[in-house]
Amino acid sequence: MQTRHSSPGVSRRQLLIGGASLLGYFTFAGPTFAWTQAFKGTPLHQRFMQLSGLLINHHLDEGAGLRIGAFAAQKYAQLDQHIDSIVAIAEQQGATEVEQFFDAIPEGELRDLAYWVIAAWYSGSSSADADAELFTYEHALTFQTTLDIVPIPSFGLTGPNAWNRPPAPLLPVPRF
Amino acid sequence: MTQTASADVVIVGTGVVGVVVAEQLLDAGFSVLMLDAGPRVSRAEIVENFRNLPLGLKGSASSSYPPKPWAPHPMPSTGNPEDDYLQLEGPDAYAQTYIRYAGGSTWHWAGTCWRLTPDDMRLNSLYGVGRDWAFDYATLDPYYNLAEYSLGICGPSDPALQWPPQPRSRPYPMPHLPFSPGEDKFTRVMKEKLGYTNVPVAQARNSGMPYDDRPACCANNNCVPVCPIGAKYDAATALNRLEAKGAVILSNAVAHRIETGEGNRIEAVHYLDPERQSHRVTGNHFVVACNAIETPKLLLMSADSRNPNGIANSSDQVGRNMMDHPQLALTLTLDEPYWLGQGPVVNSGIMETSQGDFRAEHAGAYFRMNNFARNRYETFNALKTGKVGRALDEEIRRRTACTVNVVAAHEILPDPNNRLTLSANKDWLGLPKPHIYYDVGDYTRRSAEVYSMPIARRIAEAMGATEVKEPSAFAQSKHLMGSTIMGTDPANSVVDPDCRAYDHANLFLPGGGAMPSTACGNSTITMVALAFKAAEALIDQARRA
Repeated sequence: MQTRHSSPGVSRRQLLIGGASLLGYFTFAGPTFAWTQAFKGTPLHQRFMQLSGLLINHHLDEGAGLRIGAFAAQKYAQLDQHIDSIVAIAEQQGATEVEQFFDAIPEGELRDLAYWVIAAWYSGSSSADADAELFTYEHALTFQTTLDIVPIPSFGLTGPNAWNRPPAPLLPVPRF
Repeated sequence: MTQTASADVVIVGTGVVGVVVAEQLLDAGFSVLMLDAGPRVSRAEIVENFRNLPLGLKGSASSSYPPKPWAPHPMPSTGNPEDDYLQLEGPDAYAQTYIRYAGGSTWHWAGTCWRLTPDDMRLNSLYGVGRDWAFDYATLDPYYNLAEYSLGICGPSDPALQWPPQPRSRPYPMPHLPFSPGEDKFTRVMKEKLGYTNVPVAQARNSGMPYDDRPACCANNNCVPVCPIGAKYDAATALNRLEAKGAVILSNAVAHRIETGEGNRIEAVHYLDPERQSHRVTGNHFVVACNAIETPKLLLMSADSRNPNGIANSSDQVGRNMMDHPQLALTLTLDEPYWLGQGPVVNSGIMETSQGDFRAEHAGAYFRMNNFARNRYETFNALKTGKVGRALDEEIRRRTACTVNVVAAHEILPDPNNRLTLSANKDWLGLPKPHIYYDVGDYTRRSAEVYSMPIARRIAEAMGATEVKEPSAFAQSKHLMGSTIMGTDPANSVVDPDCRAYDHANLFLPGGGAMPSTACGNSTITMVALAFKAAEALIDQARRA
């Protein structure tokens, strides 16, 4: 039976179940997870990864990028325009690495976004604050810079009593 | 109120002290019921909590252990002191960290096990300060041995590297853990430039072999806040074994009142469950071992007509003499890489600076270079430089390799003015929060002025520090001591040499609260030795009864 409260072909029971499911989705999965799923595969997601590839000279984890990008889309109302602007600057410079165009990004919103993206990839977190969002732990790039000699805490680096390896030189930084 | 259960012995607290006492009693044939205010969780849950913390919180000892509403414990400050669990007052903040979970605070301890020295137990006789212990080192030695074999404590076999520097009556059950390259370098520099011996820490961590059905340490460098593989002893690893031996363990059971009866004997403990329902647990003997903050809080909360100042408090010493190891931590930036982070987070230390005739004038100090991997502390500092690309990679790598944390941990004297009382500010169950007044005192401050900080600066110089960040105030070491102090005179002490309450023949209060001196080394092994001694006395008393 249809009522004026239901759409054709959708029963009140189905609506209630659907509503409860949606509520559960946000309640149990959390809004960040919902944003991430909504962001996944969108053109903005792809452009965010393009921006990240320009700002970071390393291999980037897709899962971490999805979470950072989804968070950025909530944090920066003009994310899409800002991405276009920064990518355009890089293209004008013919840049393939961040050193080749970063100084050309004007101070202000664009520079702040660029640096936030870099900080998010390196720290795996949305900020240094205690209530920051975690995007990734083991893929945070800070750990990759020292992975030849320093363990990621809680992940073992050696076998029992076998950690007295020779000191590593400061340079070069491992490739990652 | 409901009558829930009864046992020969009721133990409040499932931390290392309660667990050790429980196992001795079970092995002697007594029934044991244990209460813990907090939840019982799996190691995997805590490890996931840690891994899911943002990087800025990875250095927090407590953030992997969110407190239950009914069992609050100290957490990073919210900025509003009234919201904090510990209500702090005084020149220095007794801002401790401990965990109200089944298994207690050994979940997040480093595992460091420095014994006291004979002199540490005779401060008053030798130097005219503080209190002497009620017995000597030779009396404590066999209980230290029991503690080392029970917890699985590794340590050096070379007498020149052992602490205290005197012959051992029994070898360590496992060899000491190897040093990382940075610790090797620190050890060499200290010896060559300053003449100090940086010795391996005796630690409750499996070294090169399984022990106690737990695996060998594999350098996960995460002892604090949680060892992900259980290579480090924590009391939670013993709970299943205790249950297999017949113990009844009630988690989420918040003891809030101790009931006395005829002859001022303890009759029961009352606890609240998460639905705020009260339950009564009876027994013949009682052990309260829920750390040197929660134990005096419970004793004071339980004041009755027989004990108007609180249980075990005819001396008015319950909650007084709060002690710790006040620490000053320097962050050094060095010319050369030390590459900390391989192996356990604390693996060596300079202990000789804790002893000497100077203790008549000021406190001794123990120095250590912490071995925490540094990325978690230095990443945001590197990002603040504004560097990008290869320059940023190199900045993070340099800071991780070339910064170290050197800590001076001091002893402190018992001072009755350093006192825990019951705050008017209440927790979720309506129970009073602990209020603690604390001043590290002139004895410790004088050490920092004329002794420990001058040594720390020489250490920094010897290591080639190009930048030295000195702390502006003492931090706390999370080593809770003194609040149910031991002595031979019931007029000025709470417990006798067996940690038995002077006021209640069937109540034992073993643990850090009983310690009348702190020395400079971490307190847990001494707490455990006292637990073995108390258990022996309790068993003897129960059998005679």
